[in-house]
Amino acid sequence: MTESPPMLRLEKVEVVYKKVITAIQGVSLDVQQGQIVVFLGTNGAGKTTTLRAISGFIGTDDAWVTEGRILFEGQDIANWPPQKVANRGIALVPEREKIFETLTVMDNLEASVGAGASRATRKRMIDTVFDHFPRLATAKTRLAGYLSGGERQMLAIGSALLCEPRLLLVDEMSMGLAPRLVEELLDHIVTLKKTLGLTILLVEQSAHLALGIADYGYVIENGRIVLDGTRERLGGHKDVQEFYLGQGGGDARKSYREVKQYRRSRRWYG
Amino acid sequence: MAQASGYFKTSYGQELRLIETTTQKVALAAFVVVLLVYPFFAKPFFLDLANQVFLAVIAASALMLLTGFAGQISLGHAGLLAAGAFTTGILYKEVGAPFWVTLPASAVVGALLGLVFGLPSLRLKGLYLAVTTLALHFIVAYAGGEYETKRGYSTGVSVSPPSLFGFELTQGRHWYFVLLAFDVLVVLFCLNLVRSRTGRSFIAIRDHDTVAEALGIPVKRTKLLAFVISSVLTTLTGSLLAYYQGFVTIQAFTIYLTIEYVAMVIIGGSGSMLGAILGAVFVVLFPHVIEAAIRLVPASRHLVNDAFAINFAAFGLIMVLFLIFEPLGLVGIWRRLRDYFLLWPFRQTAVGKGG
Amino acid sequence: MQVLANLVVLTAIYALISCGYVLIYRVSRVLNLAHGELMMLGAYLLFTLASLFKGGPELAFAGAVGLSLLVGFVLYVVLMRKMTGELVIAAVLVTIALGILLRGLMVLIWTARDLHPISVLGWKNPPVPLGGGTSISSVALATILVAVVLYLALMLFFRYTRWGLQMRAVGERPLLAAQRGIKLHAVYALAWALSTFSGGLAGMLLALDSGLGSTMVIVGLKAFPAALVGGLDSLLGAVVGSFIVAAAEILAIHFIDPLISDVVPFVVLIAMLLVRPWGLFGTKEEIERV
Repeated sequence: MTESPPMLRLEKVEVVYKKVITAIQGVSLDVQQGQIVVFLGTNGAGKTTTLRAISGFIGTDDAWVTEGRILFEGQDIANWPPQKVANRGIALVPEREKIFETLTVMDNLEASVGAGASRATRKRMIDTVFDHFPRLATAKTRLAGYLSGGERQMLAIGSALLCEPRLLLVDEMSMGLAPRLVEELLDHIVTLKKTLGLTILLVEQSAHLALGIADYGYVIENGRIVLDGTRERLGGHKDVQEFYLGQGGGDARKSYREVKQYRRSRRWYG
Repeated sequence: MAQASGYFKTSYGQELRLIETTTQKVALAAFVVVLLVYPFFAKPFFLDLANQVFLAVIAASALMLLTGFAGQISLGHAGLLAAGAFTTGILYKEVGAPFWVTLPASAVVGALLGLVFGLPSLRLKGLYLAVTTLALHFIVAYAGGEYETKRGYSTGVSVSPPSLFGFELTQGRHWYFVLLAFDVLVVLFCLNLVRSRTGRSFIAIRDHDTVAEALGIPVKRTKLLAFVISSVLTTLTGSLLAYYQGFVTIQAFTIYLTIEYVAMVIIGGSGSMLGAILGAVFVVLFPHVIEAAIRLVPASRHLVNDAFAINFAAFGLIMVLFLIFEPLGLVGIWRRLRDYFLLWPFRQTAVGKGG
Repeated sequence: MQVLANLVVLTAIYALISCGYVLIYRVSRVLNLAHGELMMLGAYLLFTLASLFKGGPELAFAGAVGLSLLVGFVLYVVLMRKMTGELVIAAVLVTIALGILLRGLMVLIWTARDLHPISVLGWKNPPVPLGGGTSISSVALATILVAVVLYLALMLFFRYTRWGLQMRAVGERPLLAAQRGIKLHAVYALAWALSTFSGGLAGMLLALDSGLGSTMVIVGLKAFPAALVGGLDSLLGAVVGSFIVAAAEILAIHFIDPLISDVVPFVVLIAMLLVRPWGLFGTKEEIERV
């Protein structure tokens, strides 16, 4: 597994909220250049915390990376402020509060373009976004607060692209959207990867759609990585099938005791 | 029982206990002795200071209940003090009412005003609530000023000393014991309130009122109750203040006074009765310490005439410093020191190192 | 007629002051309760500069305006920056403390005497007749003009410039804005600078018209209901709110009692807060965000 050094590497990262609550512990993962990596887990498993730790958002919730390193292109970016991380080439599309609702679509995009860009560059960059998401072009002058869920997601991804990231982090894209829309958005993600050469880290609860486009995947539970592997390996894994793909063999769900057992047996992963 | 690694509670009863350890018992006893002996040795000036502190402790406890525990920020404290003082002054001047009438009357006015000040809290939170209470302060101040001008008491309403059991309260030392008794009652009342069901509802509302409501706490009623209790204690202080100073004037109740009380809560340490006491002591003594310091340093003696302005500036500075560097106030400092000695020689480190 | 003229002048004064509250609140949700003191500081700066540059009153005025801008910037960088990410109410308390600190310092430096910068500048303030026996002072006329120009400029600034856009973005979602590469601290510092600039300007004009004393802080505080009635995050609201408060005040002075003038804005404020807490033009969601 040691070919080229990965674009993003988390080494045994631990995040502690308000100096007491440990949200994630010993999380290690690699994201290779040009890949789409999926990060799976249930509610409260630590997916979002991991993403926020990478993008520097956690500091505002009084949470800090207390152990381990977050290496982006070889540089430790743990506990950097969000703005610095963004300038370094990582853009985050958060789960909630991802667009400026009181601004128009155009203003949302304008506000996201780097400060130094000239008028012409800005226009060119925004036009690229419209090429990717033609639906946004038709809604240019509308207030972002009145957009539909899918359009909001497109606008959020579009404005994240304007920061010219090399790594795009997308949190819970499928949240509250119809499966068909999610599929459409995932297609966009694949296109972005191909045309812009972006590396993408997707965080998802619904595994079946996300695994479909992923090159590699991680499963996090209770703040620890419990499983990782290629799309084929994860998709074929018994536990993933049962817990995330809902293909449990006949007899409903396992009892809580068994689930606990499952976590314990994989402790060595941390 | 204090143990080498700290003090641990092993039962719920212990959690509720006011005096937790033997050391605390001894310290408290020593403190009581000092308090009882103090007036027999202190000069009148220092006696007066102690009395001022005692008065401030009552009103600071009231604000601590409201802001520190129930989380309702009020900038109308001076207005309430003025209301108490003026109720006393007016009743005394107009109908010659005695102490036993004016004090309860002030409390009744306080309860009514508490409802008035509290009503906006049912709709507004935080900043907006603070602003509303500030506005109410101006209205109370206007009413007081109006009374003064209409009745021709432009320099203030004078109030003669009250008599308790046919015994006139004129001497500082007598006042000292009366106010001390008040303080003990009020502080015990607040401490007990805070650990009661009501007190815990206050805290629940402060921390998250929506959740509190979901838990079945009658949020509206509890908020109003917090305002009423706090306001009654404040107007009582106002009434005592009127008697203690012998006159009432609206000029004494400015926004600056409100800020002083807010500062007591902040500097003392929000959410702690000890904080209210420490804050009151600190804020009352602060200007005198500054003035003494100016007099002591020969190079700054020519500044004595500007002492007032220096006080202002220094007070603002202290508040800023506490807000930025020690949001837990004096209580926070005290607890850190205590933990340091309790845990010594082990160094106490927080779990996270980032913050 | 004279009443109407007075109303316009008072509206302009309140509008000029209240836009300082709005600027900071809109961007950072912080209510700057030291605004009255900062206004006064601007006026004192004018007085000092006027005494320094005896020959060039215009230079003194421009210098004071520039310094006011700088004051806000410096205040943000050394003080308020530390409060970003803290509870909003804590930041508001810091501004209260700052107000006290400033007041103390100003008395120390300039004493509490009433000063008249206009005589030091060597300017005159003749009344301007408006016909029909009404007149307003020249400075009052200037105040109206300045208020109009300032509001137009600010509205254009918010609408059409990149900084204005960034300020709007930061005002709505500071974190997201930071993630998109907007320099939060620069935006906040700019908001503070613009706020002290407009406040300082108001303070100077007020001092030119009616002298410089401790009552100015009260005028500053009275303009705050104006900002709130209109909606703390709306410039247009600030104008309308200023008009409402000014009208209520002038009516009360005429028909009830001159003494009441200091209370009327706050009565209006309470009425507004109980009926429509987010103000006439404000965003409704604000209240829950505290």
